[in-house]
Amino acid sequence: MSVQSSRRRVCGAVLTAVAATTLVTGCGSSESGSAADRTLVSYTGQSGDYQINFNPFSSSTMEGPGTIFEPLFFYNITQDAKPVPLLGTDFAWNADGTRLLVTLRPNVKFSDGTPFTAQDVAFTLDMVAKNKTINTTGYDGEAVATDDTHVRITFPKPAFMQGPQVLGKTFIVPRHLWSKIPDPANDVIAQPVGTGPFVLEEFKPQAFTFKANPGYWGGEPAVKRIRYLALAGNQSGADALAGKQIDWQTGPVPDIKDVAKNYPGYQAITIPMNQMNLTACSNAALGCAGPQTDPAVRKAIHYAINRTQLNSLAFEDTASDISPGFTLLGRDAKYVSPKLQEKLAPKAPDLARSAGLLLGAGYAKGPDGLFAKDGKPLELTVQVPSGWTDYITAITTMTQQLQPAGIKLLAQQVSYNEWADARVRGRFQLLIDAMNQGPSADPFYDYNYYFSTETTAKVGESAYPNYSRYSNPEVDAALNAVKGIDSTEAAKRQPYFDVVQTRVEQDMPYIPILTGGTTSEYHSDKFTGWPAKDNLYAFPAVWSRPDQAQIYKTLKPVGR
Amino acid sequence: MSYYLRKLAFYLVALWAALTLDFFILRLLPGNPVDVLLAKLAQRGGAPDPSVRRAYELLLGTHSDEPLWSQYVSYLDRLRHGDLGVSVSVFPAKVSDVIAQALPWTLVLVGIATLLSFVLGVGLGVIVGWKRGTWLDALVPGTTVLAAVPYFWLALLLAALLAGALGWFPLLGGYDVALDPGWNADFIGSAVYHGTLPALTIVVSSVGGWLLGMRNMMVSTGSEDYVLTAQAKGLRDGRVMLRYAARNAVLPSVAGFAISLGFVVSGSIVTEQVFAYPGIGSKLLQAVQNNDYALMQGIFLIITVAVLGANLVIDLLYGLIDARTRARA
Repeated sequence: MSVQSSRRRVCGAVLTAVAATTLVTGCGSSESGSAADRTLVSYTGQSGDYQINFNPFSSSTMEGPGTIFEPLFFYNITQDAKPVPLLGTDFAWNADGTRLLVTLRPNVKFSDGTPFTAQDVAFTLDMVAKNKTINTTGYDGEAVATDDTHVRITFPKPAFMQGPQVLGKTFIVPRHLWSKIPDPANDVIAQPVGTGPFVLEEFKPQAFTFKANPGYWGGEPAVKRIRYLALAGNQSGADALAGKQIDWQTGPVPDIKDVAKNYPGYQAITIPMNQMNLTACSNAALGCAGPQTDPAVRKAIHYAINRTQLNSLAFEDTASDISPGFTLLGRDAKYVSPKLQEKLAPKAPDLARSAGLLLGAGYAKGPDGLFAKDGKPLELTVQVPSGWTDYITAITTMTQQLQPAGIKLLAQQVSYNEWADARVRGRFQLLIDAMNQGPSADPFYDYNYYFSTETTAKVGESAYPNYSRYSNPEVDAALNAVKGIDSTEAAKRQPYFDVVQTRVEQDMPYIPILTGGTTSEYHSDKFTGWPAKDNLYAFPAVWSRPDQAQIYKTLKPVGR
Repeated sequence: MSYYLRKLAFYLVALWAALTLDFFILRLLPGNPVDVLLAKLAQRGGAPDPSVRRAYELLLGTHSDEPLWSQYVSYLDRLRHGDLGVSVSVFPAKVSDVIAQALPWTLVLVGIATLLSFVLGVGLGVIVGWKRGTWLDALVPGTTVLAAVPYFWLALLLAALLAGALGWFPLLGGYDVALDPGWNADFIGSAVYHGTLPALTIVVSSVGGWLLGMRNMMVSTGSEDYVLTAQAKGLRDGRVMLRYAARNAVLPSVAGFAISLGFVVSGSIVTEQVFAYPGIGSKLLQAVQNNDYALMQGIFLIITVAVLGANLVIDLLYGLIDARTRARA
């Protein structure tokens, strides 16, 4: 996500100044002619050498999901659309969501020439279920290949919401090779064999290259080669763009609005994807302490923020509106509850309303202009990783905005590891953070990740990812009910979504700031067919898998 | 004989103390590898599913409630078998593989730079010390100023000038990525070309220390009686300088050089950062940023062993050369 990936280490920022003044040459630019024209150079943010790992189930995989190993279907997380058939052609749930029938594409071959069958799908799913160390989706089904092109998956309880994980994020591997791997979590798969549009050509620690798979079931891609470059520690993606060393990267560059002018031949696209918020350790019953455990304080902050000013000062106006119910605007706009008091977080501050909330909660304004209760002034610390400049600017801005409202924010810059630890263990008052999306375009996942009691824990224990320690039985009941409803039945789900959104707005465990955008820059003079606002066929982030494979398959070299 | 046994015993105790500190100090760091990994995945748009966390805890073995004490015992036991563990930041690569990939780069770059700096500094020191009172004296403050300038600033200036403005050297990296690493002329040429500028910055910033030390020793040996005798015999000036004065004056510098060889392994984190050089220093930084205990321990172990080893060799050699160091007071 852009807001976060923009932050370089502080030491890097100093060094970049030199790199920027001295446009870098070399680094993989030694090719020329038509081969180079059809080679796409991707930069996924790798700094320093690559350590080989093409295991699609590994957390540290370099690449491969989508490009070499394909899922059954492609779920586009940028819009509510029908899943795109890849290795699967069709799927159907039974009425209570405990049985899933998948029809597979016939006549597909792995890149080593072995035919792909339902046995491979059943094997992959079984392997994930059996090996807890690679089961990152909580898959608990049982898969049976009924014939060469059909798989039946049965689940112990309604599993509609597991569908996108099983169908869209489980990458199918060949049984004839993987059945010989004793421990799939610990193998780096140095010679990956899959069904995907690309195969590994060569690997070197500073770059590796994929080439188009001539036997791909969808036809050989027009992009003949993809090179993944590891930029050196202190060289930034922006420098590499300026030197035309890379064709695609995700992450903001200075002066985002003028990318086409500053980097001739390149375009930028920003997709709102992350609900930025001030996460409050909100639940005193689970051990949170401090003034932020009072919902009135959280709402007083909410109403005192000047979001228009914040957007321009901290986010170069790339952020967009946010809903207090945390439904992702744009993509999930149709799910925004009509029962919310405010469908959008106010852009202008309302200090009178903020003060009213605090007075109602027993606070009184002291001589120094700060609200205080029981002799204690209303002061809150906000933790932010040092070096994350846009968030630091955002906190500085909010500190000034909240001053006339009688609320004092104290920014506390900590190391990234310390911040991550405080977040999980609940050792914070407020921290600035952003929400991530689930495996498909469905607001359920964020509600379930961030608001459910199941995903939280007492302060001191690890909560993931409900860091605010929010717990509300009504929300839990509504989320449980949604799990038993097919995601295509929007009307049946909406009443439960209304409950979640209105309760979250009322309790405000996360104070909404703005929706953060993910910005990517791409070489539009060299390739055509990039996702655009009106044709968002995949999420255009180079590190988003398997979205990147959909984009590689669609791109065409210019003039060919 | 008991002198050597005493020395060996002392170094074994020192090694154990260093290993123990490595183990406990690292565990005082905030955070744990699973949270760092998850936070990184989140930056890349990964769905924050609680199952992900459970899987990674199992994978990295951090869910265990094993007490620190028994972790320590098994750590020492694994070290005895030469098993440095598995790196978390580039899971599932072995720590020994990660170090093996990075170490040659550092050894060659920092090793050659240290050697060059020593030879150059001592050589110049001999001349400056011998011809004191001439314009050559200006070399002392000149090189010391270069040593006093913060290294990263000097390196950035040289990079901006020689690699940026003049374009004589590549700015970043260890070799041209279009080439195949291996024993072929193209690759070695490229590695030498990429290593020249970083090596130059190390030499420029460290030559002053060697020069100053050598020059001062030369000044004091220059007034010894045997030098005067040699001159009185009518020997050529150059012969007196090299064979009589310099030979005696260089002894402390040689000891210093041997110790600094021990530090070659730890490399130069700043050099490797500035030039994005693929060595041990950049791996250490990566390990610290990812709470990768195993990798940090492995690197510290290598550094500790190298420094202790260099010291041990010097100690033993001195015992051999100079009987006085063996005698008990």
